[in-house]
Amino acid sequence: MKSTNEKEFVTLIEEHQNLIHKICRLYTKSNTEHKDLFQEITIQLWKAYPKFRGDSKFSTWMYRVGINTAITLYRKSKRRIQSLSFEDVAYKVPQSESYDDTEDQQIKAIYQAIKQLNDIEKAVVFLYLEDKSYKEISNTIGITEVNARVRMNRIKKKLIKQLNP
Amino acid sequence: MDELKRLKKDWQENQKFPKLSQFEIYKFLHKKSSSLVKRIFVLSLIEFGFWTFISFFIKDNEAQQRFDQYQMEHFTIPLIVIGYAVLLYFFFLFYKNYKSISSIDSTKGLMQQILKTRRTVKNYVIFNLVFLYISIVIGLLIELNNNPDVVMLTAEFNSTGDYLIFYGIIIILTLIMMALLTALLLGFYFLVYGILLKKLKNNYKELQTIEADTD
Repeated sequence: MKSTNEKEFVTLIEEHQNLIHKICRLYTKSNTEHKDLFQEITIQLWKAYPKFRGDSKFSTWMYRVGINTAITLYRKSKRRIQSLSFEDVAYKVPQSESYDDTEDQQIKAIYQAIKQLNDIEKAVVFLYLEDKSYKEISNTIGITEVNARVRMNRIKKKLIKQLNP
Repeated sequence: MDELKRLKKDWQENQKFPKLSQFEIYKFLHKKSSSLVKRIFVLSLIEFGFWTFISFFIKDNEAQQRFDQYQMEHFTIPLIVIGYAVLLYFFFLFYKNYKSISSIDSTKGLMQQILKTRRTVKNYVIFNLVFLYISIVIGLLIELNNNPDVVMLTAEFNSTGDYLIFYGIIIILTLIMMALLTALLLGFYFLVYGILLKKLKNNYKELQTIEADTD
């Protein structure tokens, strides 16, 4: 029974893995961190899987667990992230294929600006980029819809300020 | 904010991420196979320490001192040396299994390594049982030939012609002792390694389902 569940779970993760990659993309600063966070999200999803009853879509549930894991891990590792290695600093300008070399300077700059946001703000931006409604954003993060709108407006102002110092 | 809209477009178009296979995802969930094999290696060392510790306690007891007086070192020392050499070989195998399982990158390879580890543990248990039986038989033969009380008793039975009964009793008592020690040792190994082997077997079954689907 457990074996069947596991197989089912692994298949679902394989299908929806881009979603986890995208969370990792916003919350990490190096390939190593990306891999670590991916693994951590997968483990947390597996632990939470018995509670997933199928009331919501698997992807919706993944957003919730994935973002929560990223936020928790981000908070835990704040100190660690502040002491970046040379490789990590070099990584700030996306270089690997998975981080798309073809992005123009403006896109690169805005990615960097988003990476400077706090963990909750990143989650709001992430769901916005995923084209989620404010209702979905509020449900996923656990804030009110009004709060989601207010936060998004603040984020936009913050980003404009950062991009045009 | 136009930049954010552009980014949204780019975000949705740019989906170039490394594609992880089911096996790689499985490995994230199952660091446990390698950690189980590591535990087997560590446990074998602890077990070795445990038995060595016990042997220090029985070293000075009466029976051991009497046994030492028989001066049968030409039997006992090679037996001990062989025993330790084989144990060292098993520790090496356990360590090798752990190192190999940590660097496997295919379902089939991991399955094979799990089978190999289970086989190593089974051989280790078999060796320990066989070594115990050989030690008991050698110990018994030494006692029969050297213990003055036993030698006298043997002579008595021989003179009355009841030596078959005497040896019959000795054999039955030895078999009972062997059976009891076997049960004790198997019980011990079941507690120490059996549970880990069962978990490895479950991992193996899960891998089988993944392997069956990817074929």
